[in-house]
Amino acid sequence: MNALIKLELARALRNRKFLFFSVIYPSLIFLLVASQGGSNATVDKTGLSVAAYVMVSMASFGALTAVLMGNSERIAKERESGWVRQLRLTTLPGRGYVLAKTASAAVVSLPSIVVVFLVAASVKHVRLEAWQWFALTGAIWAGSLVFAALGVAIGYLASGDAVRPITMITYFGLSILGGLWWPSSSFPTWLQDIAKWLPTHAYAALGRAIEQSQAPKAQDIAILVVFFALFVGGAAWLYRKDTLKA
Amino acid sequence: MTTTAATTATGTPVVGFDQVSKTYGSVRAVDGLSLRLHPGETVALLGPNGAGKSTTLDLLLGLKQADTGTVGVFGMSPREAIVAGRVGAMLQSGGLMDEVTVRELVKLACDLHPKAYKVADVLARAGISQIADRKVNKLSGGQAQRVRFALATAGDSDLIVLDEPTTGMDVSARQAFWATMREQADQGRTVLFATHYLEEADAIADRVLVLHRGRLLADGTAAEIKAKAGARRISFDLEGEIDEAPLRALPFLTVIDVSGQTVRIQSSDADATVHALYGLGVYPRNLEVAGLGLEQAFVAITEAEEAKQS
Repeated sequence: MNALIKLELARALRNRKFLFFSVIYPSLIFLLVASQGGSNATVDKTGLSVAAYVMVSMASFGALTAVLMGNSERIAKERESGWVRQLRLTTLPGRGYVLAKTASAAVVSLPSIVVVFLVAASVKHVRLEAWQWFALTGAIWAGSLVFAALGVAIGYLASGDAVRPITMITYFGLSILGGLWWPSSSFPTWLQDIAKWLPTHAYAALGRAIEQSQAPKAQDIAILVVFFALFVGGAAWLYRKDTLKA
Repeated sequence: MTTTAATTATGTPVVGFDQVSKTYGSVRAVDGLSLRLHPGETVALLGPNGAGKSTTLDLLLGLKQADTGTVGVFGMSPREAIVAGRVGAMLQSGGLMDEVTVRELVKLACDLHPKAYKVADVLARAGISQIADRKVNKLSGGQAQRVRFALATAGDSDLIVLDEPTTGMDVSARQAFWATMREQADQGRTVLFATHYLEEADAIADRVLVLHRGRLLADGTAAEIKAKAGARRISFDLEGEIDEAPLRALPFLTVIDVSGQTVRIQSSDADATVHALYGLGVYPRNLEVAGLGLEQAFVAITEAEEAKQS
Protein backbone atom coordinates (compact mmCIF):
# COMPACT_ATOMS: atom_id res chain seq x y z
CA MET A 1 0.00 0.00 0.00
CA ASN A 2 2.97 2.30 0.61
CA ALA A 3 3.70 2.14 -3.09
CA LEU A 4 0.25 3.48 -3.88
CA ILE A 5 0.48 6.20 -1.21
CA LYS A 6 3.83 7.28 -2.65
CA LEU A 7 2.44 7.47 -6.16
CA GLU A 8 -0.73 9.27 -5.04
CA LEU A 9 1.47 11.80 -3.26
CA ALA A 10 3.75 12.34 -6.21
CA ARG A 11 0.66 12.94 -8.29
CA ALA A 12 -0.91 15.37 -5.80
CA LEU A 13 2.32 17.36 -5.49
CA ARG A 14 2.56 17.57 -9.26
CA ASN A 15 -0.95 18.94 -9.62
CA ARG A 16 -0.44 22.70 -9.47
CA LYS A 17 -4.12 23.58 -9.42
CA PHE A 18 -4.76 21.29 -6.48
CA LEU A 19 -1.73 22.61 -4.62
CA PHE A 20 -2.74 26.20 -5.26
CA PHE A 21 -6.24 25.73 -3.90
CA SER A 22 -5.25 23.69 -0.89
CA VAL A 23 -1.93 25.31 0.08
CA ILE A 24 -1.69 28.87 -1.28
CA TYR A 25 -5.34 29.92 -1.54
CA PRO A 26 -6.19 29.68 2.21
CA SER A 27 -3.19 31.90 3.00
CA LEU A 28 -4.33 34.47 0.46
CA ILE A 29 -7.81 34.61 1.94
CA PHE A 30 -6.23 34.85 5.35
CA LEU A 31 -4.28 37.94 4.33
CA LEU A 32 -7.35 39.45 2.72
CA VAL A 33 -9.70 38.89 5.68
CA ALA A 34 -7.19 39.54 8.45
CA SER A 35 -6.35 42.92 6.95
CA GLN A 36 -9.93 44.11 7.30
CA GLY A 37 -9.90 44.41 11.08
CA GLY A 38 -7.47 46.84 12.72
CA SER A 39 -4.39 45.26 14.25
CA ASN A 40 -5.81 45.63 17.75
CA ALA A 41 -9.37 44.62 17.00
CA THR A 42 -10.68 41.50 18.66
CA VAL A 43 -13.48 39.20 17.59
CA ASP A 44 -16.34 39.58 20.06
CA LYS A 45 -16.46 37.35 23.09
CA THR A 46 -13.38 35.33 22.12
CA GLY A 47 -10.79 37.94 23.07
CA LEU A 48 -8.74 36.81 20.08
CA SER A 49 -7.30 39.22 17.56
CA VAL A 50 -8.87 39.11 14.12
CA ALA A 51 -5.67 37.67 12.74
CA ALA A 52 -5.50 34.88 15.31
CA TYR A 53 -9.20 34.12 14.80
CA VAL A 54 -8.99 34.02 11.03
CA MET A 55 -5.76 32.05 11.12
CA VAL A 56 -7.51 29.06 12.65
CA SER A 57 -10.45 29.45 10.26
CA MET A 58 -8.19 29.44 7.23
CA ALA A 59 -5.91 26.65 8.43
CA SER A 60 -9.04 24.56 8.95
CA PHE A 61 -10.38 25.64 5.58
CA GLY A 62 -7.11 24.70 3.86
CA ALA A 63 -7.04 21.27 5.45
CA LEU A 64 -10.70 20.80 4.57
CA THR A 65 -9.98 21.71 0.94
CA ALA A 66 -7.07 19.29 0.66
CA VAL A 67 -8.84 16.26 2.07
CA LEU A 68 -12.35 16.83 0.72
CA MET A 69 -11.36 17.77 -2.83
CA GLY A 70 -8.52 15.29 -2.90
CA ASN A 71 -10.84 12.42 -2.12
CA SER A 72 -14.28 13.02 -3.58
CA GLU A 73 -13.66 13.94 -7.20
CA ARG A 74 -10.78 11.59 -7.73
CA ILE A 75 -12.53 8.59 -6.24
CA ALA A 76 -15.64 9.24 -8.31
CA LYS A 77 -13.58 9.67 -11.46
CA GLU A 78 -11.40 6.62 -10.91
CA ARG A 79 -14.40 4.54 -9.98
CA GLU A 80 -15.95 5.40 -13.32
CA SER A 81 -12.81 4.97 -15.39
CA GLY A 82 -12.35 1.47 -13.99
CA TRP A 83 -9.06 2.14 -12.22
CA VAL A 84 -10.60 1.06 -8.93
CA ARG A 85 -11.58 -2.25 -10.57
CA GLN A 86 -8.08 -2.70 -11.96
CA LEU A 87 -6.65 -2.15 -8.47
CA ARG A 88 -8.93 -4.88 -7.16
CA LEU A 89 -6.95 -7.28 -9.35
CA THR A 90 -3.83 -6.57 -7.34
CA THR A 91 -2.78 -7.70 -3.87
CA LEU A 92 -3.85 -4.32 -2.52
CA PRO A 93 -6.43 -4.95 0.20
CA GLY A 94 -9.93 -3.66 -0.53
CA ARG A 95 -9.70 -0.72 1.81
CA GLY A 96 -6.15 0.07 0.69
CA TYR A 97 -7.30 2.35 -2.08
CA VAL A 98 -9.36 4.56 0.20
CA LEU A 99 -6.67 4.57 2.88
CA ALA A 100 -3.98 5.51 0.37
CA LYS A 101 -6.12 8.36 -0.94
CA THR A 102 -6.78 9.65 2.56
CA ALA A 103 -3.16 9.29 3.62
CA SER A 104 -1.90 11.24 0.64
CA ALA A 105 -4.56 13.91 1.14
CA ALA A 106 -3.45 14.19 4.75
CA VAL A 107 0.13 14.75 3.68
CA VAL A 108 -0.95 17.63 1.45
CA SER A 109 -3.19 19.08 4.16
CA LEU A 110 -0.27 19.45 6.55
CA PRO A 111 1.56 22.12 4.51
CA SER A 112 -1.72 23.93 3.93
CA ILE A 113 -2.06 24.28 7.71
CA VAL A 114 1.57 25.19 8.28
CA VAL A 115 1.70 27.75 5.47
CA VAL A 116 -1.25 29.66 6.96
CA PHE A 117 0.50 29.64 10.35
CA LEU A 118 3.75 30.89 8.85
CA VAL A 119 2.01 33.69 6.98
CA ALA A 120 0.02 34.62 10.09
CA ALA A 121 3.11 34.68 12.30
CA SER A 122 5.37 36.54 9.89
CA VAL A 123 2.99 38.98 8.19
CA LYS A 124 0.29 39.50 10.82
CA HIS A 125 2.49 38.93 13.88
CA VAL A 126 0.28 36.33 15.49
CA ARG A 127 2.09 35.16 18.63
CA LEU A 128 1.28 31.98 20.50
CA GLU A 129 3.10 29.70 22.94
CA ALA A 130 5.13 26.90 21.37
CA TRP A 131 2.76 24.23 22.73
CA GLN A 132 -0.17 26.08 21.19
CA TRP A 133 1.37 25.98 17.72
CA PHE A 134 1.96 22.25 18.00
CA ALA A 135 -1.44 21.55 19.51
CA LEU A 136 -3.13 23.63 16.82
CA THR A 137 -1.32 21.82 14.04
CA GLY A 138 -2.14 18.44 15.56
CA ALA A 139 -5.80 19.23 16.26
CA ILE A 140 -6.52 20.72 12.84
CA TRP A 141 -4.65 17.96 11.11
CA ALA A 142 -6.39 15.18 13.02
CA GLY A 143 -9.76 16.90 12.67
CA SER A 144 -9.40 16.95 8.90
CA LEU A 145 -9.88 13.17 8.93
CA VAL A 146 -13.59 13.81 9.51
CA PHE A 147 -13.75 15.55 6.14
CA ALA A 148 -11.50 13.03 4.46
CA ALA A 149 -14.12 10.43 5.32
CA LEU A 150 -16.82 12.72 3.95
CA GLY A 151 -14.81 13.05 0.73
CA VAL A 152 -14.65 9.28 0.39
CA ALA A 153 -18.39 9.00 0.99
CA ILE A 154 -19.14 11.60 -1.72
CA GLY A 155 -16.72 9.89 -4.08
CA TYR A 156 -18.64 6.65 -3.75
CA LEU A 157 -22.06 8.31 -3.70
CA ALA A 158 -21.91 10.54 -6.75
CA SER A 159 -20.67 9.92 -10.23
CA GLY A 160 -20.06 11.72 -13.49
CA ASP A 161 -21.09 15.31 -13.70
CA ALA A 162 -22.79 15.27 -10.32
CA VAL A 163 -19.60 14.94 -8.26
CA ARG A 164 -18.31 18.44 -8.73
CA PRO A 165 -21.50 20.31 -7.84
CA ILE A 166 -22.15 18.03 -4.87
CA THR A 167 -18.59 18.49 -3.65
CA MET A 168 -18.74 22.25 -4.17
CA ILE A 169 -22.08 22.68 -2.41
CA THR A 170 -20.88 20.58 0.51
CA TYR A 171 -17.53 22.33 0.58
CA PHE A 172 -18.78 25.91 0.44
CA GLY A 173 -21.83 25.13 2.55
CA LEU A 174 -19.76 23.64 5.32
CA SER A 175 -17.07 26.32 5.08
CA ILE A 176 -19.39 29.32 5.10
CA LEU A 177 -22.08 28.05 7.46
CA GLY A 178 -19.48 26.62 9.80
CA GLY A 179 -18.01 30.08 10.17
CA LEU A 180 -14.70 29.46 8.45
CA TRP A 181 -15.05 32.55 6.27
CA TRP A 182 -16.88 34.94 8.56
CA PRO A 183 -17.32 34.46 12.28
CA SER A 184 -20.63 32.68 12.80
CA SER A 185 -21.38 35.24 15.53
CA SER A 186 -22.10 37.67 12.68
CA PHE A 187 -24.91 35.39 11.43
CA PRO A 188 -28.59 35.93 12.34
CA THR A 189 -29.55 33.93 15.40
CA TRP A 190 -31.50 31.26 13.56
CA LEU A 191 -28.49 30.59 11.35
CA GLN A 192 -26.20 30.50 14.36
CA ASP A 193 -28.40 27.81 15.83
CA ILE A 194 -27.85 25.69 12.74
CA ALA A 195 -24.18 26.54 12.37
CA LYS A 196 -23.16 25.38 15.81
CA TRP A 197 -24.13 21.80 14.95
CA LEU A 198 -21.97 21.68 11.84
CA PRO A 199 -18.74 19.69 11.92
CA THR A 200 -16.80 22.61 10.43
CA HIS A 201 -17.95 24.87 13.27
CA ALA A 202 -16.84 22.35 15.88
CA TYR A 203 -13.61 21.86 13.96
CA ALA A 204 -12.67 25.56 14.04
CA ALA A 205 -13.88 25.87 17.64
CA LEU A 206 -11.35 23.19 18.57
CA GLY A 207 -8.50 25.33 17.26
CA ARG A 208 -9.83 28.50 18.87
CA ALA A 209 -10.05 26.82 22.26
CA ILE A 210 -6.35 26.03 21.95
CA GLU A 211 -5.60 29.66 21.06
CA GLN A 212 -7.51 30.76 24.15
CA SER A 213 -5.59 28.23 26.26
CA GLN A 214 -8.86 26.54 27.11
CA ALA A 215 -9.90 22.94 27.04
CA PRO A 216 -12.02 22.18 23.96
CA LYS A 217 -15.74 22.05 24.59
CA ALA A 218 -17.12 18.56 25.06
CA GLN A 219 -19.97 19.41 22.69
CA ASP A 220 -17.56 20.22 19.86
CA ILE A 221 -15.61 17.01 20.33
CA ALA A 222 -18.84 15.04 20.48
CA ILE A 223 -20.07 16.66 17.24
CA LEU A 224 -16.82 15.80 15.46
CA VAL A 225 -16.87 12.23 16.73
CA VAL A 226 -20.49 11.72 15.68
CA PHE A 227 -19.90 13.16 12.21
CA PHE A 228 -16.74 11.10 11.82
CA ALA A 229 -18.65 7.93 12.69
CA LEU A 230 -21.45 8.93 10.29
CA PHE A 231 -19.12 9.68 7.40
CA VAL A 232 -16.98 6.60 7.90
CA GLY A 233 -20.08 4.42 8.22
CA GLY A 234 -21.62 5.98 5.12
CA ALA A 235 -18.39 5.66 3.15
CA ALA A 236 -17.99 2.01 4.17
CA TRP A 237 -21.58 1.23 3.23
CA LEU A 238 -21.31 2.98 -0.15
CA TYR A 239 -17.94 1.35 -0.79
CA ARG A 240 -19.37 -2.12 -0.21
CA LYS A 241 -22.38 -1.37 -2.39
CA ASP A 242 -20.10 -0.18 -5.19
CA THR A 243 -17.86 -3.24 -4.86
CA LEU A 244 -20.77 -5.62 -5.21
CA LYS A 245 -22.09 -3.76 -8.24
CA ALA A 246 -18.82 -3.33 -10.12
CA MET B 1 -16.47 -33.09 -30.55
CA THR B 2 -13.15 -33.72 -28.89
CA THR B 3 -12.34 -31.64 -25.90
CA THR B 4 -8.82 -31.02 -24.77
CA ALA B 5 -10.18 -31.07 -21.25
CA ALA B 6 -10.81 -34.79 -21.34
CA THR B 7 -7.22 -35.68 -22.09
CA THR B 8 -5.44 -33.38 -19.68
CA ALA B 9 -7.83 -33.44 -16.75
CA THR B 10 -5.46 -34.20 -13.93
CA GLY B 11 -4.99 -32.42 -10.62
CA THR B 12 -6.48 -29.08 -9.71
CA PRO B 13 -7.68 -27.13 -12.71
CA VAL B 14 -6.33 -23.64 -13.22
CA VAL B 15 -9.89 -22.42 -13.42
CA GLY B 16 -12.97 -24.38 -12.48
CA PHE B 17 -16.52 -23.12 -13.01
CA ASP B 18 -19.21 -25.37 -11.65
CA GLN B 19 -22.80 -24.58 -12.69
CA VAL B 20 -22.23 -20.85 -12.38
CA SER B 21 -25.09 -18.43 -12.99
CA LYS B 22 -25.25 -14.67 -12.76
CA THR B 23 -28.41 -12.66 -13.37
CA TYR B 24 -28.89 -8.91 -13.75
CA GLY B 25 -32.54 -8.14 -13.30
CA SER B 26 -34.22 -10.33 -15.89
CA VAL B 27 -31.08 -10.93 -17.95
CA ARG B 28 -29.17 -14.15 -17.41
CA ALA B 29 -25.66 -13.00 -18.22
CA VAL B 30 -24.15 -16.35 -17.32
CA ASP B 31 -26.38 -19.39 -17.32
CA GLY B 32 -25.27 -22.61 -15.66
CA LEU B 33 -21.73 -22.35 -16.95
CA SER B 34 -19.30 -25.18 -16.21
CA LEU B 35 -15.76 -25.21 -17.53
CA ARG B 36 -12.24 -26.16 -16.63
CA LEU B 37 -8.95 -24.68 -17.76
CA HIS B 38 -5.76 -26.67 -17.49
CA PRO B 39 -2.14 -25.62 -17.01
CA GLY B 40 -0.42 -24.27 -20.10
CA GLU B 41 -3.52 -23.89 -22.23
CA THR B 42 -4.12 -20.81 -24.31
CA VAL B 43 -7.85 -20.43 -24.35
CA ALA B 44 -10.01 -17.99 -26.27
CA LEU B 45 -13.41 -17.10 -24.91
CA LEU B 46 -15.23 -16.31 -28.11
CA GLY B 47 -18.65 -14.82 -28.44
CA PRO B 48 -20.58 -11.88 -29.82
CA ASN B 49 -21.19 -8.78 -27.73
CA GLY B 50 -23.53 -9.55 -24.87
CA ALA B 51 -22.62 -13.23 -24.85
CA GLY B 52 -21.52 -13.01 -21.22
CA LYS B 53 -17.75 -12.97 -21.79
CA SER B 54 -17.00 -10.01 -19.56
CA THR B 55 -19.28 -11.26 -16.83
CA THR B 56 -17.57 -14.66 -16.98
CA LEU B 57 -14.17 -13.02 -16.57
CA ASP B 58 -15.46 -10.76 -13.78
CA LEU B 59 -16.68 -13.85 -11.93
CA LEU B 60 -13.36 -15.57 -12.53
CA LEU B 61 -11.48 -12.59 -11.10
CA GLY B 62 -13.76 -12.16 -8.11
CA LEU B 63 -15.00 -8.75 -9.28
CA LYS B 64 -18.50 -10.17 -9.25
CA GLN B 65 -20.07 -12.86 -7.15
CA ALA B 66 -21.97 -15.73 -8.71
CA ASP B 67 -25.65 -16.06 -7.80
CA THR B 68 -25.32 -19.83 -7.82
CA GLY B 69 -22.50 -22.26 -8.47
CA THR B 70 -18.85 -22.07 -7.54
CA VAL B 71 -15.80 -20.48 -9.11
CA GLY B 72 -12.35 -21.77 -8.21
CA VAL B 73 -8.95 -20.56 -9.35
CA PHE B 74 -6.06 -22.92 -8.55
CA GLY B 75 -8.44 -24.52 -6.06
CA MET B 76 -8.81 -21.23 -4.19
CA SER B 77 -11.25 -18.37 -4.28
CA PRO B 78 -10.45 -15.82 -7.00
CA ARG B 79 -9.39 -13.26 -4.41
CA GLU B 80 -7.03 -15.71 -2.70
CA ALA B 81 -5.46 -16.58 -6.04
CA ILE B 82 -4.89 -12.89 -6.80
CA VAL B 83 -3.39 -12.20 -3.38
CA ALA B 84 -1.08 -15.20 -3.91
CA GLY B 85 0.14 -13.48 -7.08
CA ARG B 86 -1.02 -16.32 -9.32
CA VAL B 87 -3.30 -14.27 -11.56
CA GLY B 88 -2.53 -11.28 -13.75
CA ALA B 89 -5.45 -9.63 -15.46
CA MET B 90 -6.27 -6.92 -17.94
CA LEU B 91 -9.79 -5.56 -18.05
CA GLN B 92 -11.51 -4.43 -21.20
CA SER B 93 -11.86 -0.79 -20.25
CA GLY B 94 -9.78 -0.91 -17.10
CA GLY B 95 -9.10 2.71 -16.35
CA LEU B 96 -5.61 3.80 -15.56
CA MET B 97 -4.38 6.23 -12.95
CA ASP B 98 -3.79 9.46 -14.84
CA GLU B 99 -1.23 12.23 -14.33
CA VAL B 100 1.48 9.67 -13.66
CA THR B 101 4.00 8.28 -16.14
CA VAL B 102 3.80 4.85 -17.70
CA ARG B 103 6.91 3.82 -15.78
CA GLU B 104 5.47 4.95 -12.45
CA LEU B 105 2.29 3.02 -13.07
CA VAL B 106 4.13 -0.15 -14.08
CA LYS B 107 6.36 0.24 -11.04
CA LEU B 108 3.25 0.38 -8.88
CA ALA B 109 2.01 -2.88 -10.41
CA CYS B 110 5.41 -4.46 -9.75
CA ASP B 111 5.43 -3.19 -6.16
CA LEU B 112 2.02 -4.73 -5.60
CA HIS B 113 2.93 -8.13 -7.10
CA PRO B 114 4.38 -10.76 -4.75
CA LYS B 115 6.46 -12.30 -7.54
CA ALA B 116 7.27 -9.15 -9.48
CA TYR B 117 9.62 -8.82 -12.44
CA LYS B 118 11.96 -5.88 -12.93
CA VAL B 119 10.16 -2.77 -14.14
CA ALA B 120 12.44 -2.40 -17.16
CA ASP B 121 11.76 -6.00 -18.23
CA VAL B 122 8.01 -5.59 -17.92
CA LEU B 123 8.14 -2.41 -20.00
CA ALA B 124 10.29 -4.08 -22.65
CA ARG B 125 8.12 -7.18 -22.90
CA ALA B 126 4.97 -5.13 -23.32
CA GLY B 127 6.75 -3.04 -25.95
CA ILE B 128 6.33 0.26 -24.10
CA SER B 129 9.92 1.09 -23.15
CA GLN B 130 9.96 4.03 -25.55
CA ILE B 131 6.85 5.60 -24.02
CA ALA B 132 7.81 4.88 -20.39
CA ASP B 133 8.17 8.54 -19.51
CA ARG B 134 4.95 9.62 -21.13
CA LYS B 135 1.95 10.59 -19.02
CA VAL B 136 -0.68 7.87 -18.93
CA ASN B 137 -3.47 10.25 -19.95
CA LYS B 138 -1.58 11.19 -23.14
CA LEU B 139 -1.57 7.70 -24.69
CA SER B 140 -3.35 6.44 -27.78
CA GLY B 141 -5.90 3.65 -27.40
CA GLY B 142 -3.45 0.98 -28.54
CA GLN B 143 -0.69 2.27 -26.26
CA ALA B 144 -3.05 2.28 -23.30
CA GLN B 145 -3.90 -1.36 -24.06
CA ARG B 146 -0.20 -2.21 -23.95
CA VAL B 147 0.14 -0.46 -20.60
CA ARG B 148 -2.80 -2.51 -19.31
CA PHE B 149 -1.06 -5.60 -20.61
CA ALA B 150 2.09 -4.57 -18.74
CA LEU B 151 0.05 -4.26 -15.52
CA ALA B 152 -1.31 -7.77 -16.09
CA THR B 153 2.17 -9.21 -16.63
CA ALA B 154 4.09 -7.31 -13.94
CA GLY B 155 4.93 -10.52 -12.11
CA ASP B 156 5.35 -14.24 -12.52
CA SER B 157 1.65 -15.13 -12.54
CA ASP B 158 0.51 -18.59 -13.61
CA LEU B 159 -2.69 -17.39 -15.24
CA ILE B 160 -3.07 -14.34 -17.44
CA VAL B 161 -6.60 -13.13 -18.10
CA LEU B 162 -7.22 -10.60 -20.86
CA ASP B 163 -10.61 -9.13 -21.69
CA GLU B 164 -10.72 -8.10 -25.37
CA PRO B 165 -7.06 -7.08 -25.28
CA THR B 166 -6.80 -5.78 -28.86
CA THR B 167 -9.75 -3.39 -28.73
CA GLY B 168 -8.76 -0.08 -30.27
CA MET B 169 -5.74 -1.46 -32.13
CA ASP B 170 -5.18 -1.37 -35.86
CA VAL B 171 -4.27 -4.53 -37.75
CA SER B 172 -0.50 -4.26 -37.43
CA ALA B 173 -0.66 -3.31 -33.74
CA ARG B 174 -2.98 -6.25 -33.21
CA GLN B 175 -0.58 -8.69 -34.79
CA ALA B 176 2.34 -7.33 -32.79
CA PHE B 177 0.24 -7.73 -29.68
CA TRP B 178 -0.56 -11.34 -30.53
CA ALA B 179 3.16 -12.06 -30.67
CA THR B 180 3.48 -10.61 -27.16
CA MET B 181 0.61 -12.75 -25.96
CA ARG B 182 2.12 -15.84 -27.51
CA GLU B 183 5.36 -15.23 -25.62
CA GLN B 184 3.38 -15.41 -22.40
CA ALA B 185 1.88 -18.72 -23.44
CA ASP B 186 5.28 -20.06 -24.53
CA GLN B 187 6.55 -19.54 -21.00
CA GLY B 188 4.10 -22.20 -19.89
CA ARG B 189 1.45 -19.87 -18.55
CA THR B 190 -2.23 -20.45 -18.90
CA VAL B 191 -3.66 -17.62 -20.94
CA LEU B 192 -7.37 -16.90 -21.15
CA PHE B 193 -8.57 -14.09 -23.35
CA ALA B 194 -11.98 -12.92 -24.43
CA THR B 195 -12.50 -11.83 -27.99
CA HIS B 196 -15.17 -11.45 -30.59
CA TYR B 197 -12.71 -11.95 -33.43
CA LEU B 198 -12.67 -15.53 -34.66
CA GLU B 199 -9.42 -14.65 -36.43
CA GLU B 200 -7.82 -13.73 -33.14
CA ALA B 201 -8.93 -16.95 -31.49
CA ASP B 202 -7.60 -18.89 -34.47
CA ALA B 203 -4.24 -17.13 -34.44
CA ILE B 204 -3.39 -17.68 -30.79
CA ALA B 205 -5.62 -20.11 -28.97
CA ASP B 206 -5.20 -23.84 -28.80
CA ARG B 207 -8.65 -24.14 -27.34
CA VAL B 208 -11.71 -22.08 -28.06
CA LEU B 209 -14.76 -21.77 -25.85
CA VAL B 210 -17.77 -20.36 -27.64
CA LEU B 211 -20.11 -18.47 -25.39
CA HIS B 212 -23.59 -17.46 -26.43
CA ARG B 213 -26.25 -16.00 -24.15
CA GLY B 214 -24.26 -17.01 -21.12
CA ARG B 215 -24.02 -20.65 -22.13
CA LEU B 216 -21.06 -22.64 -23.38
CA LEU B 217 -21.99 -23.55 -26.94
CA ALA B 218 -18.85 -25.21 -28.11
CA ASP B 219 -15.50 -26.20 -26.71
CA GLY B 220 -12.85 -27.34 -29.14
CA THR B 221 -9.81 -26.45 -31.13
CA ALA B 222 -9.80 -23.30 -33.20
CA ALA B 223 -9.94 -25.42 -36.36
CA GLU B 224 -13.08 -27.19 -35.22
CA ILE B 225 -14.80 -23.97 -34.33
CA LYS B 226 -13.65 -22.38 -37.54
CA ALA B 227 -15.13 -25.23 -39.55
CA LYS B 228 -18.44 -24.61 -37.84
CA ALA B 229 -18.30 -20.85 -38.07
CA GLY B 230 -17.02 -21.08 -41.64
CA ALA B 231 -20.28 -22.72 -42.63
CA ARG B 232 -22.19 -21.51 -45.66
CA ARG B 233 -25.85 -21.32 -46.26
CA ILE B 234 -27.14 -22.91 -49.48
CA SER B 235 -30.69 -22.39 -50.61
CA PHE B 236 -32.55 -23.49 -53.73
CA ASP B 237 -35.99 -24.47 -54.96
CA LEU B 238 -36.98 -27.90 -56.26
CA GLU B 239 -40.06 -28.72 -58.29
CA GLY B 240 -42.51 -31.48 -57.50
CA GLU B 241 -42.33 -33.94 -54.64
CA ILE B 242 -39.15 -33.42 -52.61
CA ASP B 243 -37.39 -36.57 -51.46
CA GLU B 244 -35.56 -35.49 -48.32
CA ALA B 245 -33.56 -38.65 -47.67
CA PRO B 246 -30.89 -38.20 -50.37
CA LEU B 247 -30.67 -34.50 -49.50
CA ARG B 248 -29.97 -35.31 -45.88
CA ALA B 249 -27.16 -37.61 -46.97
CA LEU B 250 -25.34 -34.78 -48.78
CA PRO B 251 -21.71 -34.45 -47.69
CA PHE B 252 -20.69 -31.70 -45.20
CA LEU B 253 -24.36 -30.90 -44.52
CA THR B 254 -24.95 -29.69 -40.98
CA VAL B 255 -28.52 -28.36 -41.01
CA ILE B 256 -31.36 -28.87 -43.47
CA ASP B 257 -34.73 -27.16 -43.58
CA VAL B 258 -37.37 -27.87 -46.20
CA SER B 259 -40.39 -25.58 -46.38
CA GLY B 260 -42.66 -25.81 -49.42
CA GLN B 261 -40.50 -26.05 -52.47
CA THR B 262 -37.55 -24.30 -50.85
CA VAL B 263 -34.62 -26.18 -49.37
CA ARG B 264 -32.19 -24.45 -47.05
CA ILE B 265 -28.97 -26.19 -46.15
CA GLN B 266 -25.98 -25.30 -44.04
CA SER B 267 -22.72 -26.84 -45.04
CA SER B 268 -19.19 -26.77 -43.75
CA ASP B 269 -17.94 -27.25 -47.34
CA ALA B 270 -20.40 -25.63 -49.71
CA ASP B 271 -18.45 -26.53 -52.87
CA ALA B 272 -18.55 -30.23 -52.11
CA THR B 273 -22.18 -30.12 -51.06
CA VAL B 274 -23.30 -28.33 -54.22
CA HIS B 275 -21.24 -30.66 -56.37
CA ALA B 276 -22.92 -33.67 -54.75
CA LEU B 277 -26.32 -31.99 -55.08
CA TYR B 278 -26.04 -31.96 -58.86
CA GLY B 279 -24.93 -35.59 -58.64
CA LEU B 280 -28.36 -36.45 -57.23
CA GLY B 281 -29.87 -35.74 -60.64
CA VAL B 282 -32.13 -32.93 -59.38
CA TYR B 283 -32.46 -29.50 -60.98
CA PRO B 284 -32.05 -26.88 -58.25
CA ARG B 285 -33.40 -23.47 -59.24
CA ASN B 286 -32.59 -20.06 -57.74
CA LEU B 287 -29.48 -21.55 -56.20
CA GLU B 288 -27.82 -19.23 -53.70
CA VAL B 289 -24.69 -19.82 -51.66
CA ALA B 290 -23.92 -17.29 -48.95
CA GLY B 291 -21.29 -17.13 -46.26
CA LEU B 292 -22.25 -16.80 -42.62
CA GLY B 293 -20.88 -13.92 -40.57
CA LEU B 294 -19.67 -14.66 -37.10
CA GLU B 295 -23.01 -13.64 -35.61
CA GLN B 296 -24.83 -16.03 -37.92
CA ALA B 297 -22.18 -18.64 -37.34
CA PHE B 298 -23.03 -18.53 -33.66
CA VAL B 299 -26.67 -18.97 -34.52
CA ALA B 300 -25.68 -21.83 -36.81
CA ILE B 301 -23.75 -23.49 -34.02
CA THR B 302 -26.67 -22.92 -31.67
CA GLU B 303 -29.10 -24.54 -34.09
CA ALA B 304 -26.75 -27.43 -34.66
CA GLU B 305 -26.39 -27.95 -30.93
CA GLU B 306 -30.12 -27.74 -30.36
CA ALA B 307 -30.78 -30.16 -33.24
CA LYS B 308 -28.31 -32.57 -31.68
CA GLN B 309 -30.07 -32.39 -28.33
CA SER B 310 -33.62 -32.86 -29.66
